[in-house]
Amino acid sequence: MGDAMFNNILKRKPESNVKSNVANDENIGLDMSLDNNISFLSNIFQKDETVIFREFQNKHLEAAKCCIIYIDGMVNTEIINENIIQPVLRSDLSENIKSNNLLEELMKKVIVSNSVELEADISKIVSSVLYGDTLFLVEGYNKALVISTKGWKIRSISEPESAKVVRGPREGFTESIMVNLSLVRRKINTTDLKFEFKEIGERTHTKTCVCYIEGLALESILNELKQRLEKINIDGIIDSGYIQELIKDAPYSPFETVGSSERPDVIAAKLLEGRIALFVDGSPFVLTVPYVVVENFQANEDYYNNYIYSTMNRLIRGFTAVTSITIPAIFLSIVNYHQEMLPTPLLLSIAASRQNVPIPTSVSLFLMLFIFDVLREVGNRMPAPIGQAVNVVGAIVLGQAAVEANLVSAPVVIVTAITGIMTLINMNFISATIIFRTILLLGASFLGIYGFFICFIILYLHLMSIRSFDVPYMMNVTRAKNHDGQDAWIRAPWWVMTLRPKIIAANDLVRQSSGKSKEK
Amino acid sequence: MKKIKIIFLVLMVLMNSIFAAGCWNYKEVDQFSIVAGVAVDIGKNSKYELTAELIQISGGKEAKTTSKTVTVEGKTIFDAARNMISISGKKLYWSHAKVIILSKEAANNGVKNAIEWYTRDSETRESVYVLISKGETAKEIFDGQGTTESIMSFILQDIIKNQMSLSKSSVTDILKYSIESQQKGASTIIPAVSLKLMNDKMVPEVIGTAIIKNDKLAGFLNGEETKDLSFIRNEVKGGVLVEEMQVNNLPAIITLEIFNSKTKVSFSAEAEDLVINIDIDTTVAIDEVEGTVDLSDEKEINRLKQITENTIKERIETLIIKIKSEYDADIFCFGIKLWQNNPQVWKSVKNNWEDVLSNAEVNVKTNVHIKNSAIVS
Repeated sequence: MGDAMFNNILKRKPESNVKSNVANDENIGLDMSLDNNISFLSNIFQKDETVIFREFQNKHLEAAKCCIIYIDGMVNTEIINENIIQPVLRSDLSENIKSNNLLEELMKKVIVSNSVELEADISKIVSSVLYGDTLFLVEGYNKALVISTKGWKIRSISEPESAKVVRGPREGFTESIMVNLSLVRRKINTTDLKFEFKEIGERTHTKTCVCYIEGLALESILNELKQRLEKINIDGIIDSGYIQELIKDAPYSPFETVGSSERPDVIAAKLLEGRIALFVDGSPFVLTVPYVVVENFQANEDYYNNYIYSTMNRLIRGFTAVTSITIPAIFLSIVNYHQEMLPTPLLLSIAASRQNVPIPTSVSLFLMLFIFDVLREVGNRMPAPIGQAVNVVGAIVLGQAAVEANLVSAPVVIVTAITGIMTLINMNFISATIIFRTILLLGASFLGIYGFFICFIILYLHLMSIRSFDVPYMMNVTRAKNHDGQDAWIRAPWWVMTLRPKIIAANDLVRQSSGKSKEK
Repeated sequence: MKKIKIIFLVLMVLMNSIFAAGCWNYKEVDQFSIVAGVAVDIGKNSKYELTAELIQISGGKEAKTTSKTVTVEGKTIFDAARNMISISGKKLYWSHAKVIILSKEAANNGVKNAIEWYTRDSETRESVYVLISKGETAKEIFDGQGTTESIMSFILQDIIKNQMSLSKSSVTDILKYSIESQQKGASTIIPAVSLKLMNDKMVPEVIGTAIIKNDKLAGFLNGEETKDLSFIRNEVKGGVLVEEMQVNNLPAIITLEIFNSKTKVSFSAEAEDLVINIDIDTTVAIDEVEGTVDLSDEKEINRLKQITENTIKERIETLIIKIKSEYDADIFCFGIKLWQNNPQVWKSVKNNWEDVLSNAEVNVKTNVHIKNSAIVS
């Protein structure tokens, strides 16, 4: 009966995926005949030669005709051989199995596996086979056993390249979501740590997991996150970057309002501050919401090192973040509009370096900054051995030859170099830096310091207007009252940081009990 | 509709603030000539002859800065300043000018007229030092050769800045001159500059001051007189005092370094019988002794103190008499002090201030502290 029906469906939608093959008709499912079931499943998996159908029989009980179905490469074949095929083949089923329900007896007494489920829903069966489980079919049953045999090669846990530390844990997330969850679980040993799974992607069925600490994370933010995830309607998720962009506030802004990290210690610390993490299978980058601007300047090492040293480093990061955006514009506006602001000796040396240079300062600044960005991108894209050559060409050709050939003046090269280095300190928002630096430079080249300030105020207002999951993006940046500023521009000593961030952890502010009196 | 209105309003405000505001003057630093200093003379045909010292930069790796002068005539100073473009080719840039030198003729013509443009224009600065040339013309100062730098205006600026540890000249910039010359009855002083032959080179020398009365040049004071004047004006910040004393019938010359000096001017009595009390409190140290003096003896120190107090007092009294008799000009800022301290009295005397001042009695009290004898280690 099945074949005709399936052929019908297949004719109607010859290329649609499994889900749409079976979803609409509830009558479709396994039936009692093993042969029918096999042909039914091989129809679903047709033209996929990695799917293995292995049929075998118990030597004592002829009636126990079995078939296992799995995907080659996704499973651990040792488990299949020794824990499924061997016991079912060799044990004396005619003696052991007393009841009529052969399938249940097999599950309970014969198959050696930590996770076996009796499943009749065809869509679940198919998706678990696709995810590395093994399907166990027996003649005369319209249900199947789903045995966990996942076993594919995963990258070992290593220190992430994107965020190396001198002091602190050296483990980083991998591409496997279960390994990642275990890394966080190992740091936070409490039953309050909740994991909620959800599949996203019409075709990829990518596993995602919302992770939070109950009692700390705000319900409103959690519901908002779930609602946004619900609305995602995309065929596939390859990296968490997809989701990051899809659920982001202020979608047109170059500033990130969803955080990401490759380090379990960072994610654990953020969970402890009441934030919510989103794990995506296949991506070592775990997302966190809400994400505010100061998190760009916070490095995990800050919290492990001496607080004075950390404060100094954080001030450097904050300072360079501002200067990397503003320095070219300030330089241009002073040198080309407000020469009276320069001390006379400086004006003379700048004027001396400008002699016989044909390109205007503004154009040469744009040009040099563009070339710097090209070099940076080349450095990213090039295979490592060739990257060296790029550095040499960049440093010598641009730094020296251009000045000696009088194509650009030396101060422009110096400003470009300073800007470039300062940009690289804050890789978290490099896109915003490049975009706003260009806008400020445009303003400055048309209207001098006046234009610079117009654009700077626009940037400031923009930052002030952004929210991340209803939390102001500039939270704590402009406030130093009570506990607000203790983890923004500076990193206060741990004995002072008795409270969690105010808006994000509104449920339970007290981090150290000594801070209870200061709660209000 | 409301939204469109708001957007339109915001756009209008933005447009206005962008296009109706200043800052149109985009200019590269190599497109203008930087003026280091200006000299004002009276021309043959026109009223003014303006000489600008322009900085010349030869670019490249070993950049050198030299200067050249450009002289142009004009009906007014600004007229002459704009006429310079026809010679220099580049627009002149005045914001970094350091000094303005007036010739005696130009000063006689009214100092205020010569610097009026400087106080009014947007590009020029009020911190420019004013100098008066003792020579024939003002522009000849730029022909001098520097001992340290090649740009004369910068040398003059350095001299003026550093001469406060000499006290033989004063510091007058355009702002100070404008304020002091506006006080009724007050006269001002402007440092004098001249060229001096030294090792076959004509080098500039800023020493002494010019007395400006009613905006016109009245005369010159030499360096020592300027120092005495600085005592009265409470402008002494350094300098030396050379005293001679007899020790066992042998002359000894002692040089004292002034560390700090404070002068208080107070007035007693009413209107016609004005009495001016000058209290000078000076701290000095013995810096050089020529001859033999027993400095460990407190009597000797006291004697030196007495001698110093008397010489300062004498010299100040002589200066006041000289100024009174020769110039009749209130360069001591007595009028300003009276106006500040006793405004009622000032009101009654301001119309015939010069007469009142010449009849006024001046009492000078000096008090010298000898801090130490600069023990040689």
